[in-house]
Amino acid sequence: MFNYKKKLQYPINIKKKDLRMAKYLVTQYGGSNGELAAAIRYLNQRYTMPDNKGKALLTDIGTEELSHIEMISTMIYQLMKDATLEEIKEAGLDTNYAEHNKALYPTDANGVPFTATYFATTGDVLADISEDMAAEQKARAVYENLIDLTDDPDVIGPLLWLRQREIVHFTRFKELFEYYEKKLHNKNKNKDNIMNNDMIKNGTMNNNMMNTDIMNNNPMNNNGMMSEFILDQFLMNNNM
Amino acid sequence: MYNYYFNENMYRSNNDLYRNTPSLYNPTVGFNNGNMFSNLYTQYKNYKPENLIPKNEREKLLLELSQISFAAHELKLYLDLNPNDSSMLTLFNDYTKKANALRNEYESKYGILESNSDNNNETPFAWEEEMWPWEAKFNV
Repeated sequence: MFNYKKKLQYPINIKKKDLRMAKYLVTQYGGSNGELAAAIRYLNQRYTMPDNKGKALLTDIGTEELSHIEMISTMIYQLMKDATLEEIKEAGLDTNYAEHNKALYPTDANGVPFTATYFATTGDVLADISEDMAAEQKARAVYENLIDLTDDPDVIGPLLWLRQREIVHFTRFKELFEYYEKKLHNKNKNKDNIMNNDMIKNGTMNNNMMNTDIMNNNPMNNNGMMSEFILDQFLMNNNM
Repeated sequence: MYNYYFNENMYRSNNDLYRNTPSLYNPTVGFNNGNMFSNLYTQYKNYKPENLIPKNEREKLLLELSQISFAAHELKLYLDLNPNDSSMLTLFNDYTKKANALRNEYESKYGILESNSDNNNETPFAWEEEMWPWEAKFNV
């Protein structure tokens, strides 16, 4: 369950209204690389993580993204709250006003509404974590574009801060990806060992054939995988 | 001036830990940067992180709470992937305890932050009193 803290993760105090910036910024609320998509993507993926490392990291980063939704929403609210109808028209937000007045509504910067397709879940752990890594990089890039579009330090401060969070999250997801990749590789290696051993036992394969097989199928000697693999085979074949 | 929680006397053991894990910022710098790990910090163009300056005692306490909570959260993400790092776990528990103490202090003086707070015992219902965090005046 979630427990709300009546504070922002990082303070936001914007003194100058800026409707055009609000219009750009909304993409980090309801756009494909936004915080809403990120939060639900991670919280949605965590159920099919193979072990506790993945479950913990996706829960904790997903939860943090919920507080980033709140930060972005706060920025949009503060940038818009004192706007006159004239200013709203001038910024091109009149079409938004027609349907939502000044209420928050998750769209991208072009007004395209939020959609569940942004969640991108395959159930394949490596594909899902790669998606998360890409999502963090794309969000970082969008934050940089948004920083380029303003000169208000009250807006730039929180955007710089959120950008750093994308960098930290990307690194953590990358570490998780590498951990799962290694784990999966070891699992496949063990499967191969078992299969080869069975084939030796029932006479469909001899040791020479097996070594040839290894040479052909595992050309990964650039990072030491090959020698490790052959050593495993050697130990197993000699009942060690 | 508001980083007295990190003076050497109070945080002697943590200073030792910083030496063992040199990539870690202290919570004040880490919070300003949005990143507790100096090896992960990458600046965008010439932009420097905002230097947050509290205007009153309430904002000062709120900022301290945010700094320590953030430090604990960053270490939590690290511990998710490195669950056997005992020195990082010690620091995480230190920050968590400090954050709980600061939250209690803030709530007893300025207003409820969590609805399950021990300080929620007065009418009108304190949880809905005071400001909500998206109001600009709530924030530093």
